[in-house]
Amino acid sequence: MNKLKQISVYGILIVSSIISIFPFFFMIVSATNKSVDVSSGKLLPGTNLFTNIKNLLATVEIGQALLNSAIIAVTTTVLALLVASLAGYGFEIYRSRAKDIVFNILLLSMMIPFAALMVPLFRMFGTISEIAPVIGIDTLASVVIPTITTAFLIFFFRQNTKMFPKELLEAGRMDGVSELGLFFRIYIPTMKTTYAAAAIITFMSSWNNYLWPLVVLQSPKNQTIPLLISSLGSSYSPDYGVIMLAIVIATLPTALIFFFLQKYFVAGMMGSIK
Amino acid sequence: MKKRLLLLASLITILFIAACSSGDSDEANGTSNGNDEDGITVWAWDPKFNIKALEIAEESYKAENPDFELNVIENAQDDIVQKLNTSLSSGTTKGLPNIVLIEDYRVKSFLEAYPDSFHEVTGSIDVNDFTPYKVAATSIDDKNYGVPFDTGATGLYVRTDYLEEAGYTTEDLQDIDWNEYIEIGKKVKEVTGKHLITNDHNDFGIIRVLIQSAGSWYTEDDGVTINIADNEALKAAFEVYKNLVEADLMAVHSDWNQLLEAVNSGSVASLPTGNWFTPSIKAEESQSGNWAVVPIPSLPGVEGATHASNLGGSSWYVLNIDGKEEAVDFLTSTFGSNVEFYQELVKEMGAIGTYIPAMEAGAYEISDEYFGGQEIYNDFTKWSGEIPEVNYGLHTYAIDDILIVSMQEYLNGGDLDKVLENAQKQAETQIK
Amino acid sequence: METTNLNKSIKQKSEKYKFKPKKGLIGWIFILISVILICLFYFYPMLQALLLSFQSGAGVNLQFVGLENYTRLFSDPTFLAALFNTVIFFLIQVPFMIILALMFSVMLNNKKLKFKGLFRTAIFLPAVTSLVAYSVIFKYLFSNNGIINTILMNLSIISEPILWMSDPFWAKIVIILAITWRWVGYNMIFYLSALQNVDESIYEAARMDGASAFQQFFKITIPMLKPIILFTSITSTIGTLQLFDEPMNITGGGPGNATLTISQYIYDLSFEYTPDFGYASAVSFAIVVMIVFFSIIQFKLAGDKK
Repeated sequence: MNKLKQISVYGILIVSSIISIFPFFFMIVSATNKSVDVSSGKLLPGTNLFTNIKNLLATVEIGQALLNSAIIAVTTTVLALLVASLAGYGFEIYRSRAKDIVFNILLLSMMIPFAALMVPLFRMFGTISEIAPVIGIDTLASVVIPTITTAFLIFFFRQNTKMFPKELLEAGRMDGVSELGLFFRIYIPTMKTTYAAAAIITFMSSWNNYLWPLVVLQSPKNQTIPLLISSLGSSYSPDYGVIMLAIVIATLPTALIFFFLQKYFVAGMMGSIK
Repeated sequence: MKKRLLLLASLITILFIAACSSGDSDEANGTSNGNDEDGITVWAWDPKFNIKALEIAEESYKAENPDFELNVIENAQDDIVQKLNTSLSSGTTKGLPNIVLIEDYRVKSFLEAYPDSFHEVTGSIDVNDFTPYKVAATSIDDKNYGVPFDTGATGLYVRTDYLEEAGYTTEDLQDIDWNEYIEIGKKVKEVTGKHLITNDHNDFGIIRVLIQSAGSWYTEDDGVTINIADNEALKAAFEVYKNLVEADLMAVHSDWNQLLEAVNSGSVASLPTGNWFTPSIKAEESQSGNWAVVPIPSLPGVEGATHASNLGGSSWYVLNIDGKEEAVDFLTSTFGSNVEFYQELVKEMGAIGTYIPAMEAGAYEISDEYFGGQEIYNDFTKWSGEIPEVNYGLHTYAIDDILIVSMQEYLNGGDLDKVLENAQKQAETQIK
Repeated sequence: METTNLNKSIKQKSEKYKFKPKKGLIGWIFILISVILICLFYFYPMLQALLLSFQSGAGVNLQFVGLENYTRLFSDPTFLAALFNTVIFFLIQVPFMIILALMFSVMLNNKKLKFKGLFRTAIFLPAVTSLVAYSVIFKYLFSNNGIINTILMNLSIISEPILWMSDPFWAKIVIILAITWRWVGYNMIFYLSALQNVDESIYEAARMDGASAFQQFFKITIPMLKPIILFTSITSTIGTLQLFDEPMNITGGGPGNATLTISQYIYDLSFEYTPDFGYASAVSFAIVVMIVFFSIIQFKLAGDKK
């Protein structure tokens, strides 16, 4: 009985993993093929990898785009985690009726499609450009600033804080730790897995963010990776081998970050702290 | 713990400075703003086509104006449409380019939506130098806004080897209508097993090609009044489409990639499309010598039906911001009046313009071995002069989407007149 | 670590002192930055969008029309078609995805499972795949002579290829499969991280009492994860009601309007057609109203009072 159960669990996981990885596999194989072969759905590695690399480097500045995307994604992730966890913690630990109302209002902000906010937001950055051009239109900072705080992440931290053992805080207070100290010295170290999940999700959405960078960034030297890939595919006669290569390069950082952070998702991590 | 905090804090500071300083360097270089510097900024898509053409133009213009500087910003077409709409509707001129490439089907809605944002080029180019259909597409009344670029003149790309197997030559495809072509297609299918054409049910390009070939469009000449229910050309085009589907002559693809696959793998015998498709055909080297281009069949039984039409094509527009004079001068000295430049264009990249003096100067008399020695560029330019003029109006894509649904109803057995009447009503309520 | 010292003393102290949060200013300081930034970058533009929704016209030629945009919604067949599709996607997608994600996270949370890291990474990978690659691949898999049809025909499940993208029913199925493929791993992450906060000893006690795996799942895992389940169901509600990427890139909303979603319609109204930002804003607020409605239901169902 137990054996059977085990086999079926592995069976499900293996099949699901294969289904999940297949498009990834296709991407990598296609990066080594000619455009015509990609179109025909060839599933075997080809010999065109070096030509594709050469063509990619000759047509776009992928290095610059990777650097821009990295600066934006890392800055956003670090700042977003800090700001959102402070708020999520504040809303749950210092819960009051007034704060609950504020929280519900904040949730409203994630319910409107971004497309509806784009024009007013752009107008706002037009004004900002005149006062403080360093964070105005066509700067990397202008991509980061509106995405630092999202109700989504505050909500996530708040829901996780509901599961946080609050006795830890009381114990800290007894030992004379300040309120801010409790957050930094007890909450953050205890909630490592929550931070890890939030970091992965935030990095990923920042790395793949498309609409706002597209509108607010203008000069080629500020181009981000998704914009670069989109313009590669814009041709009447796109070179799919090169596009797939660019996509593989663009996907690797998030995949790697996940791979390294997922060690925090190990059952019983909390045990060592409790 | 303290150490970690310190580390975290310093990391944030460093990154923030990095983010800001990269903003700083923008200002230092002065490249962040297209409108207050020496160079001219252009937004365009397709590095292999439009942007290459720009580079050739830049080189040609630099010979006279050595100080000239052109900054090309490359985005996908949909992206440019989004950026331009956002910028123009927010009223923020910062970051706008001096010149933007806009597809002919779309431009009237831009000119209508943002009337003060575009700079008129009337008088800067001689409209008589350009093929009439293109001038109609880039002007409102007598005011010219666009400097014409490529033509979307259409032709029927055919596999001569398949035709031959079925007992036909390209001679048999001259001056026929779609009903006759469908008969040929049935024979080809019987002998070779290949579909006659391939199409995406969500892409109405072929219908637009068919109706323009008879001088008709979704809207009347004013560009606004909906012209669907009583549109003979549209009716005939729907019937041709249904006949192709019912005779099982139309393969179905659902994306550009699959279209290329169908054509390159030899699974279709022909494709009616714009001349810009040539490089995609030639990408499959092994089929060299097996292709030819003939005029598209005409719509059967429609008054004014011709064998010439257009699919796509775009033109350059100058925005009404600082630097417009220089932008106009750049465009008119290259795309607007330079025969040698057009010769260069076709030689370097097979791009065909709509500039008549270039056609007369024989710029396009180049035989192409891939097409069995046919002078395809010359043929396309000849046909481009015969394209009926229509006003693409304000609502091409909105009506496209309505008609795509209508076509499904029609294919599923709906009555054509009724289907089109409903579409007419829906378009009238949706478009105000 | 200092925390371990602190932890030692918890057991003794926490029983004596009931935890009472300090009220007052300090709590507001924690949330201050977020409130300011969200007001600035979300609520201010939202207010402007709301004002815009009472106007209509092409591009910058806007005129005040009062509530006309909102009444127009009810007689706009394209909007109604999009609304219908969006609600269908929402009703099928959210429960389906959440159950799958829960199932995977519980499987992967098993201490004795081998190759956990590999499985986790594999199942999460679809979430990081670039949209471009993912849509090219799905279109290719589900093309008329694509792999899926080939497999189904070889297994004699079907005798003729299914025209996935040209059939209104199957096109919806493709979209649902695509969203599931891309987002299950993403939702799994939230559960996996939350499961680490569940004390293993509770399970041990339950096992000693002879509780089956199913009982453990429904009696312990689900109640413990309730805050996170609520979180994912609300964010998935938002995600599906604002669904854009998949239909835009895989089916283009077709065939006909069979997979057109409200968000794609907003995009069309703003950028694809002659822009009418006023009407597009009104459509956006229709989404907001729907999301608020479904979210309140979910909060109520979760009993998130205390």
